[in-house]
Amino acid sequence: MSKGNLSSSGTTDEQLIAAIRRGDERALSQLYRMHWPMVSHFVLQNSGTDDDAQDVYQEGVMVFYEKVRDNSLELSCQIKTYLYAVCRRLWLKRLTSKSRFGVRLLDDEEHGPYLHTGAEDDLLAAEEQDRRFATMSEALNHLGEPCRSLLEGFYLLDKSMQDLTAEFGYTNADNAKNQKYKCLVRLKKLFFAHYKEEQAR
Amino acid sequence: MMTEADYYALFEAYDRGELAAPARADLEARLAADPALALRYADFAELTGTLQAQSRRRALRQQLRSIHADMTKDQTSLKADVDAVKAETSAPAPMLRISRTERRLREFWSGYRATVGVAASVAVMAVFATLLGLEMWRNSKVQVPASYQWMRREINSLKQNQRALNRTIKRIDGTSALPTPPVNNGKFGGTGFALTSEGYLVTSYHVIRGADSLLIEGRDRQRYHAETVYSDKAHDLAILRIIDKKFNGFGRLPYTFKSGQADLGERVFTLGYPREDVVYGEGSLSARSGFEGDTAAYQISIPVNPGNSGGPLLDGQGNLIGVISARQNDLESAAFATKSSYLVKLVDSLRNTQPATPYHLPKTNQLTGAARPQQLKKLQDYVFVVKVFAKASE
Repeated sequence: MSKGNLSSSGTTDEQLIAAIRRGDERALSQLYRMHWPMVSHFVLQNSGTDDDAQDVYQEGVMVFYEKVRDNSLELSCQIKTYLYAVCRRLWLKRLTSKSRFGVRLLDDEEHGPYLHTGAEDDLLAAEEQDRRFATMSEALNHLGEPCRSLLEGFYLLDKSMQDLTAEFGYTNADNAKNQKYKCLVRLKKLFFAHYKEEQAR
Repeated sequence: MMTEADYYALFEAYDRGELAAPARADLEARLAADPALALRYADFAELTGTLQAQSRRRALRQQLRSIHADMTKDQTSLKADVDAVKAETSAPAPMLRISRTERRLREFWSGYRATVGVAASVAVMAVFATLLGLEMWRNSKVQVPASYQWMRREINSLKQNQRALNRTIKRIDGTSALPTPPVNNGKFGGTGFALTSEGYLVTSYHVIRGADSLLIEGRDRQRYHAETVYSDKAHDLAILRIIDKKFNGFGRLPYTFKSGQADLGERVFTLGYPREDVVYGEGSLSARSGFEGDTAAYQISIPVNPGNSGGPLLDGQGNLIGVISARQNDLESAAFATKSSYLVKLVDSLRNTQPATPYHLPKTNQLTGAARPQQLKKLQDYVFVVKVFAKASE
């Protein structure tokens, strides 16, 4: 019966952040479970579905998590408030892009001072990062086979060079490596061309 | 000559810390010295960094999804546990199944709740505004038909005419015209008569409508201030009370109030103030209903004029049977009077409200059997001019 009871109030925000910084997966899980009801309620209240809530919340947690891992988080409030602010902002953006009319959000009373959490800046950085990822995906798509699979395999799917050598039928690992570097050079050209273009826009 | 790919191999080895110490120091020195190489390294770092970050992001997303899945699983199993416990203790509750249509409806409702609310309230307001508007429009139309004229007198116009006359006379004399005094706000006149000896009076409601202050003036030019005690718009009746301190009663009233109906053809008469002096009018009761079949009024054949409103209507024996209220312009000599039975009923109901001064209606009639001039002599002391000073807006 006590399975769902991980969100005990015994852990403080500082302890939680420290644990996440160490890479403790259970801490992340605990954080996730602790604040899910709040964000879920907020999104459902503002004409969202359960899936929307999940998307927004995971996005928010990712922003938070990456800041913690980077050691660049400057938290001036509770984690709860920070997450609320981030998710609120994200959901507002989605709603405005969906709706033709202006959007007014119904807020939970208890999470009032969400405006001074620094969440705005963090979100801007996260958006920049997202753009970069999108450009990267596009560049990878333009790269063509086998470069794309090779690089995706190495970097995104974390396969070892040995596996890749076998998979792509190279005679030895050095050959595969050389091929990889050539692909990387081509990817670089595509990526920066796209990325600069994006920024110029 | 190294190709770019060769450089990338070198950079990767450097990033992973696989370079031997001398080669490493050599590369670091070259990076510091050669900006082109440094830029190339920065590009490489951003490229691989982005790839790695993307990979981390992907893993994190995966992790969060699994956490979420775990969480929902926990919750459902928790719920299942609770349900199981419930099932053991009580009858199984019916499962809540939501059909596809109902889910759509629910989504629609949660999305457009506010809009629907606004639309509904606008609709409700529009309906009520239309109804109210129609009602007001109809009221303003129906209120007084053109042929039905209330017999209250506008004194102001007379006064002004007189003033204009004075001015012309003065100008003929050669003296300059006096500055005209500020025009008093619309002043009306009607007739009223005593209801009890303690200072209650009766007049028509339309005479005192919109009144700011009331002045009662008798035949002996004695003036009293009065206030409205009760007004009955439906039967066009108003009860006034004299509020002057110096007033000490009318004395015994010579007439009584008839609580029943008067008969058709009865000889009736009235006293009133259509002008500055008291005027007698005589006729007969020509119908037992008033304008457009109004059963609260009689039709009488007394010629009445503006100013007669509120005057008493008496039969030959000196019983008060009505209160003069109006005439019909498109009929020859058709005037209307509110029946005294309504007045008596009104007084009865006012008696129950514990008034400051009690109502004692007169019980003995001193007019019965007397000749008409003797009747009038006794009556005229109890008939008054009611002067109404209206509010500025009237």
